[in-house]
Amino acid sequence: MIYGLRKVVLYWVGKDIAGRNLAVYPDDTFIVSYPRSGNTWTRFLIANLLHPTESITFANIERFIPDCEAQSSRYLKSIPRPRVIKSHEYFDHRYKKVIYIVRDPRDIVLSYYDFQRKYRQIEDGYPMARYVEDFLHGRLSSADWGTWRENVASWLSTRQGNPDFLLVRYEDLIAGSQHEMERIAVFLGLEPQAELLTHAIELSSADRMRAMENLQGTEWISTRNKRSDIPFIGGAKAGGWKQKLPPESIAAIETAWGPLMLRLGYNLQSVPAPDVEMEAAF
Amino acid sequence: MLHQIVGGLKNALGLNRPGRNMAVFPDDVFVVSYPKSGNTWTRFLIANLVHPNERANFANINRLVPDPEALSRRELDRLPHPRYIKSHQYFDPRYPKVIYVVRDPRDVALSHYHFQRKRKVLADSDRIEPFVSRFVAGGTSSYGSWGENVAGWLATRNGSAGFLLVRYEDMLAKPNDELARVASFLSIAAHAAQIYQAVQRSSADEMRSMERNQAHLWSTTKDTRQDIPFVREAKAGGWKSELPQISIDEIESKWGGLMRYLGYETKGSESGHDAVFESVLTGLGR
Repeated sequence: MIYGLRKVVLYWVGKDIAGRNLAVYPDDTFIVSYPRSGNTWTRFLIANLLHPTESITFANIERFIPDCEAQSSRYLKSIPRPRVIKSHEYFDHRYKKVIYIVRDPRDIVLSYYDFQRKYRQIEDGYPMARYVEDFLHGRLSSADWGTWRENVASWLSTRQGNPDFLLVRYEDLIAGSQHEMERIAVFLGLEPQAELLTHAIELSSADRMRAMENLQGTEWISTRNKRSDIPFIGGAKAGGWKQKLPPESIAAIETAWGPLMLRLGYNLQSVPAPDVEMEAAF
Repeated sequence: MLHQIVGGLKNALGLNRPGRNMAVFPDDVFVVSYPKSGNTWTRFLIANLVHPNERANFANINRLVPDPEALSRRELDRLPHPRYIKSHQYFDPRYPKVIYVVRDPRDVALSHYHFQRKRKVLADSDRIEPFVSRFVAGGTSSYGSWGENVAGWLATRNGSAGFLLVRYEDMLAKPNDELARVASFLSIAAHAAQIYQAVQRSSADEMRSMERNQAHLWSTTKDTRQDIPFVREAKAGGWKSELPQISIDEIESKWGGLMRYLGYETKGSESGHDAVFESVLTGLGR
């Protein structure tokens, strides 16, 4: 009763979180990823690409590419269509047009660890090996999005090969920003003019985003009232796990998710590549 | 506006039907399938297995194996645990234990077409070919397309301890064996005689006769055409004689890889879609 009433009141005053209850329109485009997979960077890249004359900042990004897991139903209805919306949801069949960003889970777990410290969801000294187990089993806040494997597999198995689904690897976005942005522009139905792409990439560089986070961290819904000694924008690079992740944690992730990682082009370090013939039948 | 106020009030009092938004408990068991895949039969089998002293019928099935699209949140919250819950939802990571029933999509399409006639969504004059085109595109259901629903669950959960895949066709061919598998998955110690009794009480003939007497009591059949039964043929392979070739081709070219993976024979040629699907499943592991 109390719970139901609270939900209704929050909805009416525009203080709910839309999340999976988001009213989806047929012309919506979604930027979907597991958390800590480069979604915010992609949001800035796409916002800068779509709005070359605007100055995109943490103070206004929610207006250009709103976060359906941070904004209210009412707010999201007020965004002019066609909307581009950020989401971490596992498969939702109502999402017609999807850019799905995937990142090496060994890097995600490191980034998520810092993120949850920033959000005061874990203590500074939380053991990394235990955290990796939490991550693998979808405990802590990641439970809302399924495990990394569930989230990625739910989208790939349903939409891979569909012309309205674009898979982008975070690592490719770093190594070949221009090329990946060209794919994104074409997917969005834009003329991929080189100078526009370059412009968007420069405006969304890690250095610029760090500077903006310093200035506007208190104005963005995702960083407001969080620890300011830990940045939201992390290392913004690929392969940090090789130095920072304990070997037993690397092995645990690769044992649990090796086949999917291999399929996405993430080479395994601790376990031999599985026999592909065997895996063909799971 | 009035509609929203009424909806808000219902929500506040827990009288809304939660559907996909239902609260999930760690000891919940879900009976999941795409619509028209044998879910109701499975519900009866499980209800009769779990409650040998209370025969399942269309009047009590929503209490024995509840449907979150038919019961209110308040009613669902008050059910005894563990709950056995019916669902057609595509992948939901919150479901801890899942019995997933899958059926040949060519039969699913045919059954769905007749069900939509029963529900007066389609008129008798509406041809099946355009319906199948919409079915293949996922436009006939809010539970995703058949392929999205099946592949989403298989790719995320198949092979894990909390997931049991059951083919409708296997249940038809050897219901006692399949229900025994379900019982063992549910850790229910059931003798062969108990399994046999549950299967008998859930037979197509029993269910047809109960439907004749109770169709007006069940949310799914209430206010639908009574000249078309809900429990229809209860058989496999009806598509071979009833589905037009163009519709068969459309389904096979879209989902051939997934169908063959599930053991449904198709016209065999490796199409482009196959390659995509095989590669998706290949890399997913457990």
